[in-house]
Amino acid sequence: MKNIIILALILIALQSCNSVKEYEKEKINDPDMKLAARSSERFETNFQVYREAAAGANGGKTGGGCGCN
Amino acid sequence: MKNYFFLLLFLCSFSLFGQEQDSTLVFKKRVLESVEVDFLMSYYKQDGIHSAVSGGSGMEELTDITPTIVVAVPLNDDDVLTVDMGISAYSSASSGNINPFDSATPSPWQASSGASAKDVLTTLVINYSHSSDDRNTIWNAHISGSVEYDYSSIGFGGGLTKLFNDKNTEVGIAANFYLDTWKPIYPKELQDFADNGNTLNGGIFDDFTITGNTNYNPTNFVFQPEKNRNSFALSFSFSQVLNKKTQLSIFADVLHQQGLLSTPYQRVYFADVSDSFINEFQLADDIERLPDSRFKLPIGARLNYYINEKFVFRTYYRFYTDNWGISSHTASVELPYKITDRFTIFPMYRFYTQSASKYFAPHEQHLSTDEFYTSDYDLSTFDAHQYGFGVNYTDIFTASKIWKFGIKNIDFRYNHYSRSDGLEANIVSFGIKFVLDK
Repeated sequence: MKNIIILALILIALQSCNSVKEYEKEKINDPDMKLAARSSERFETNFQVYREAAAGANGGKTGGGCGCN
Repeated sequence: MKNYFFLLLFLCSFSLFGQEQDSTLVFKKRVLESVEVDFLMSYYKQDGIHSAVSGGSGMEELTDITPTIVVAVPLNDDDVLTVDMGISAYSSASSGNINPFDSATPSPWQASSGASAKDVLTTLVINYSHSSDDRNTIWNAHISGSVEYDYSSIGFGGGLTKLFNDKNTEVGIAANFYLDTWKPIYPKELQDFADNGNTLNGGIFDDFTITGNTNYNPTNFVFQPEKNRNSFALSFSFSQVLNKKTQLSIFADVLHQQGLLSTPYQRVYFADVSDSFINEFQLADDIERLPDSRFKLPIGARLNYYINEKFVFRTYYRFYTDNWGISSHTASVELPYKITDRFTIFPMYRFYTQSASKYFAPHEQHLSTDEFYTSDYDLSTFDAHQYGFGVNYTDIFTASKIWKFGIKNIDFRYNHYSRSDGLEANIVSFGIKFVLDK
C-alpha cells in the first residue's frame, strides 16, 4: 500500500512538469537518452534471467523458455 | 451569373479541402522510412562450482553463441512488420552430467561427452505494429516460438501505447502468454533405477560398482506427471519527459507461471539418506521439487539525464519479489561519452542482490521428508557485480554502404559478471544495423 501511495505521489508530481515542445527535444531525442535497453543488450538480459531469480520490468523477456542450463 | 459564382465557390471549397487532405498526407512522417536489418551476435562463457545438475556441487562450465537477425519492414506509412530469428548454440558441462556414466570415471568435476552436453535453441518472433495518423496511439501484436531438444515454447501477446501532453507522457499496457512443453529427461541413475522396476538390475548398474551405501534406493523419485509450463505476464509502463534534459520511465509487470516449474534433471541429495557413489559421482536421492505455481512482481524505473554535449547519464533500478520467498534489488548506471559525432564509448556497472527461495538449501542439507526442495544456486542468496564497456557507432545518414545497405549503427559490448557464490562469466555482444537504400 505504501508503495502504491509513493507511486501515486510521483505520478501527481510529474503532472506539474512543464510540457517540452517537439522543437525543444533535441537533447531528449539523443540516441543515448532512449528509455530502453540497447538492442545488443538483449543477450545480457537473457543470461541474467537464467542466472538470477528476478525477471521482468526491464522490457526484456518475461516468460517462455526454460533457461535451465 | 450569381449561380456560376456559387458553383465556383463550391468547387473552390472542395479544391481547398482536397489540398488540406493532401498536405496532411505529405507531412505524415513514415513510422519506418526503409527496411532495416539487424545482425546480432553474442559469445557467453561461464564457470562455477555449484552445478544444479549435480545437486549444488560440480562444475558449471557453459559456452553459448547466439547469432540473430532482426528484419523490420515498413508495410506502409503506419505499419511495421518485424521478424526476429535467432539460434543459441551451447555446450554445457553441467547438463552433460545428466548422464556422466559414458565415462569410465564419472565425476561432477569433469565435462561429460553425453548427448545432453550440447544443444541448439531456435527462436522466432513475428511482431506487427500500427501507429495512428497523429502517432499518439500505437498497438502491436506478436507471436513467438522456440524449440530445443527437451523444451518447446509458443507465445503470443499484444500491447497498446498512448502518448499525451505533446508526446511528453507515454502510457502503455501489454499482455503476453507463453505455452511451454517439456520433454523431460532425468538423471541417468534415476531413469535406470525406475526403468528396471526400482531395482539395481540393469542399465548403468550392470556396468559400475556402487560404493558407499551399496543399497542405493531413491524412494522419493517418481517421474514428473506434468509436462506443461504456462506463463502469463501483464505489463504496465509510464514515461515522462521531465524537462529538456531529463526523462523517466516506470515499469511494472505482474507475472504468473503454472505447471512444471522445476527442472527434471537437477539432482538433490538429502542429509538423512546414506550416500551412494559410482567412482566419485554421488547418485541422486531425487530431482528438485518445486511448487506448480509462481507469482512474480517486478517494478522498475529508468532515469536518463543529458549532462552536456559529451556525456549522458543513464540509470536503472528494479525491485522484485515473488511468492517463493525471493526478493531482489537491481541497480545499474551507464555513462555514454561522445568521442566524436558518430562514436560513443560507454562504461557501465550493474549491481544485483537477492535473498534465497524458501525451497533452496545447499548440497546435502534438505531432508527427504520435505515437500519442496532444490539446490539450484540461481535460487540462493547472492550478490552479483557486472561491469564492462561498450562502443557505439551511429550514422543516421548511412554514408558507409555495403551493396544496397547503408550502415546505420554498430554496437559492441563486453561485460564481466561475478557472483558471490563463485560463478564467473564473460559476455561479448556485437550488433550491426543496415538500412536498405530506397
